[in-house]
Amino acid sequence: MFWIKDAHLLDPAQGISGRGSLLVRADRILKVTVGEELTAATVLTLLGCSTLEEVTQVDGAGKYLFPGLVDAHVHLREPGQEEKEEIRSGARAAVRGGFTSILAMANTQPVIDTRALVEFVRLEGERAGKARVYPVAAVTKGMTGKELTEMVELKAGGAVAFSDDGKGIQNAETFRLALEYAKLTGCPVISHCEEAKLAGAGAMRKGEHSARLGLKGIPASAESVMVARDALLAGETGGRLHIAHVSTKESVQVIRMAKAAGVDLTAEVNPHHLLFTDEDVSLTNTSHKVNPPLPSRADQEALLEGLLDGTLDLLATDHAPHTWEEKTKPFAEAPFGINGLETALAAVWQELVVKGKLTPERLIELWAVNPARRFGLVGGTLAEGAPADLVLFDPEWRELVTAETRESKAHNTPFLGQELQGFPVMVWVGGKLVVKDRKVVG
Amino acid sequence: MEWRHRNLLDIDELTAPEIEFVLQTALPMKDLLTRPIKKLPTLRGKSIALMFYENSTRTRTSFETAGKILGADVTNFSVAQSSVNKGESLYDTAKTLQAMNVDLVVIRHASSGAAAFLAEQLKAGVINGGDGAHAHPTQALLDFFTLKERLGGIAGKKIVIVGDILHSRVARSNVLGLKKLGAEVVLVGPPTLLPPEMGYLGVKTSYDLDRELPGADAVMGLRLQLERQERGLFPSVREYHQLYGLTSERLAKTGKDTILLHPGPINRGVEISSELADSACSMIEEQVTNGVAVRMALIYLLMGGGPSRVLD
Repeated sequence: MFWIKDAHLLDPAQGISGRGSLLVRADRILKVTVGEELTAATVLTLLGCSTLEEVTQVDGAGKYLFPGLVDAHVHLREPGQEEKEEIRSGARAAVRGGFTSILAMANTQPVIDTRALVEFVRLEGERAGKARVYPVAAVTKGMTGKELTEMVELKAGGAVAFSDDGKGIQNAETFRLALEYAKLTGCPVISHCEEAKLAGAGAMRKGEHSARLGLKGIPASAESVMVARDALLAGETGGRLHIAHVSTKESVQVIRMAKAAGVDLTAEVNPHHLLFTDEDVSLTNTSHKVNPPLPSRADQEALLEGLLDGTLDLLATDHAPHTWEEKTKPFAEAPFGINGLETALAAVWQELVVKGKLTPERLIELWAVNPARRFGLVGGTLAEGAPADLVLFDPEWRELVTAETRESKAHNTPFLGQELQGFPVMVWVGGKLVVKDRKVVG
Repeated sequence: MEWRHRNLLDIDELTAPEIEFVLQTALPMKDLLTRPIKKLPTLRGKSIALMFYENSTRTRTSFETAGKILGADVTNFSVAQSSVNKGESLYDTAKTLQAMNVDLVVIRHASSGAAAFLAEQLKAGVINGGDGAHAHPTQALLDFFTLKERLGGIAGKKIVIVGDILHSRVARSNVLGLKKLGAEVVLVGPPTLLPPEMGYLGVKTSYDLDRELPGADAVMGLRLQLERQERGLFPSVREYHQLYGLTSERLAKTGKDTILLHPGPINRGVEISSELADSACSMIEEQVTNGVAVRMALIYLLMGGGPSRVLD
């Protein structure tokens, strides 16, 4: 049991933002107070202890305490591509970055399309004992875009959502049926919106910068037309749709319209789409190669506006580890993906929160409250009785991002070698301390 | 002039005076090509590696000839032409070259940025012999040499570049350099091969060749990759030739003694008619000769030869 004192508590789920204390007994939040400090006597009474020596006290002065972040979009690569990441290394990287729950995408080798595989991912996550790992199962068998998976069985094995993320489902009828059939599970279908023919073999966003670099461009429409298609299908079927990695202004407009029409739709934005644009792409830095590609400036402005006005619901890293060998290639040949778990929060904090573009409250709403609600997960709140998934965040902590200090097996981040500010210093999952002084415990 | 470059990855790395300097240095090199004994001891003991990952007889032979005339040892690395991903990675190739202590590497590669990638890994100098749709600086230099020799200068001249601009590294490098040298450049092609984003080059773009021809001092045709038709970028060779094909009749619309350039190899009857390609205004063969001279000049400068000691 422990007592975190004098921190700035943030819990948009309860409208909390202010100095206060939090008590944890066993694996759950026992008491939250804001504005008034608890007396030692009250603490002892509440925890049922006789002396304060039995209570671990944590000084939260100058720090934020918020619910552990929930990342709805992570690639853990296991099974099959353990050279890039493992469930264990990913779950460790997650807590080090402030994420106490992560959704693991299904595009592994083999694809997560049977109950046994879903259970493997879930159990490996439990064995790692760090972030809670929630499997996302494939929408179609083998992610071939043809036959639906046994969604009911997959949910029974632990799947919390369905997605063929990694590629778009090209056949509209297949996707329509997926939205219908997934109703049996109540789980959202996550759509990776990418029209394959429009995207072609592009390496970055189509525009003046792709033309300048002589790289084949991916037009914004490659995403937007499928967002529109899927929003219409969700409206028609009444299915539950979540759009992954929205990166164009047209997608934002379509989502805004769909929400106004009452479609059961949520959408996420990846931090790198808020922090970089296509102008940042250079031929020799493949850490900026990501799919969807880095957007135009106008797109980026629309994404931030969408996050602020509620059109877009969550932030998610799309953590996509790749080995050094894979990324050490000419730009056009390197794989897509940015490694995000350990740097995303700090980068967003430094570039958006500190600069006043995003409030800390909205940040937590986007990255803890909303994803937990959308995918029906525990956590995402400091409510009394909720699991003690907590982050003590030091907004002043500065740290150089180096390969040596990282938990992820891969280091394909644009922040490598740079200093970032604002990191989780202590993290608990279910009341268990998993990060202490920036280091993963155990 | 103090030559400060070790690599040439794209034309935009060079200032206008530096471009002029390369062209100037190429003049005596061209003279040399007409001598009975075409050999200099200048770069004896130096090694040049040619890494051509794409089919190219003309550019590869041009570099090879240029290097050999200057006395360097030129090695052709045979690289599988079918797939860049086959076998050794470019990174390991770079390590291998480094271990051989090669002095200069010329690379031609289908991926934009391949030359820059190699330059990052190597101590040796790197010349970009064409990377993806990104850059082809030596082609641009030889085109400038040809234009200058034939037109007496480049500043103020009107140059029309016509064809598949979108996929053309030749067009990109030419425009970047021609702008620096003060030419007026017009890019012409169908919308599918000249999309709006090519406006980044900051020169006039047009879909109508006949309207742009009047007053042109030089017209540069680009090779049309015929597989673009299969991808739907143009409907037929017939219609392409009607709209953008270069013929003597069409070239007469310039109202001048216009010269015709083409980086080769040409598709006769597609982007250019046979009679025009073989006519007196065609610089196509002259460009090949100039290519050797310009590449000699560049290799010489990059390998540290002093500016005024070229042929002493």
